[in-house]
Amino acid sequence: MVQINRKLCVGCATCIPYCPVEAFKKEAEERKVYVDEGICTNCYVCIRNKVCPVGAIEESSLDNFMKQFQHVISDPTVTSEGTGVPGRGTEEAKTNDVTGRYGRGEFGICIDMGRPGIGCRLRDAEKVAMAVAQAGVVLEGPEITPLATLMTDIKTGKLIDEALDTNVLSVIIEGKCPKEKLPDVLMALQRVEKEIETTFCLGIVSRAEQEEVSFFFETLEKLGIPKPFRGKVNVGLGRPLIP
Amino acid sequence: MTHSLHRFGSIESQRNDFVWFIYQSKGINDVDFEEKARRAITIAEKCGSENWGDVKLGCKLKCPVNEIVTNLSRQSRIRGVFTKREQVVEFLKEMKKADLGLSVIISGLLDEVLPSCEEAELTPHTINYSLGVWGKKDLLPEEDVLAVTSMCGHHMIAANLVRKKMEEVKKGRKSAEKAAEELAVLCPCGIFNQVRAARILQEAAVKA
Repeated sequence: MVQINRKLCVGCATCIPYCPVEAFKKEAEERKVYVDEGICTNCYVCIRNKVCPVGAIEESSLDNFMKQFQHVISDPTVTSEGTGVPGRGTEEAKTNDVTGRYGRGEFGICIDMGRPGIGCRLRDAEKVAMAVAQAGVVLEGPEITPLATLMTDIKTGKLIDEALDTNVLSVIIEGKCPKEKLPDVLMALQRVEKEIETTFCLGIVSRAEQEEVSFFFETLEKLGIPKPFRGKVNVGLGRPLIP
Repeated sequence: MTHSLHRFGSIESQRNDFVWFIYQSKGINDVDFEEKARRAITIAEKCGSENWGDVKLGCKLKCPVNEIVTNLSRQSRIRGVFTKREQVVEFLKEMKKADLGLSVIISGLLDEVLPSCEEAELTPHTINYSLGVWGKKDLLPEEDVLAVTSMCGHHMIAANLVRKKMEEVKKGRKSAEKAAEELAVLCPCGIFNQVRAARILQEAAVKA
């Protein structure tokens, strides 16, 4: 957990602009900096980069499961125990040429809750996860994506109650749906985006074959969603079981 | 992770901004990854990658290249940026020739990346399309600030820090290039494009 050593802090406020979620505040009377624990996501930008000129920012133990989860999710340099890879831990389209995770006739759904740079309470992540699950998304399990470790039921996207107020820098809701469910999923997102207190970035994973791409673009047009101009392209050089 | 997918700012400012990745898949093709990653890094460097890194060790602007290369592990994640389309084409051609069997991914504008694949005679396998920001968009910072913060997709670069750097450039306290490098070191993955950031900081200073 991030904390300020009050004996060392000189109130210079150098640290304040470095915090992505503005968790550093300045006391009115003593003019020292403190950490608003309700906002801090334990991303450790301040600690890793030693932003305090007098070393007053310190790390104390993450004394409960939710604090540990928050840190793993918000700090990309930390490896998630469940997935065995750093950060929020998902390979999505990046290794699809090797894993075949997304096949023909299905679409991957990657919802980056709290991005870009806004942060998010897990309550909002639950709302969105439940909305897409109800619309036909099969959510990924804990071996693929850390958020699933907090779900009481992977089929509904419901999270454990003690997680809901936790603030994270971002968290990914991941899953996939059959082609015919894609319009329902996008419509569910159009509804739920009005019910949350944060933002999310949406990525849709598709095989690059013309048939899949045409279906995807036609669906977007029908729903009035602008055609994407950015993408992450797996160029197809991966092979399983390299000798 | 989709930390390279959702970048913002004008289309023109995104035109010379490409993120490359070399990915192993855990338990499937990660044997001898370290050696293959070294070869891939050599190719990326030769093609002119301005920044790259391993999230565990940091980007090359912060950590000496030799140290990153020496400490690669089977879990390392290697990625970086190109600032010209020609670099992407050359990189893809070289990676195809090297035939490492690892997944190669390029993030960027589709009308730049897809023709680059074609030029390198590669047929894309899968695409993750960005459908942008949803929800409470009124919480977002101004466009030029977001264009810079979103180049570290893990959001290790705060909007207020970008505003501070813009102010420093505007007041002539430091060059846009120096300010951009100071921001770049905060992104441990090495996918922050400091060349594009310097351009944005400079333009903001002129505009102000």
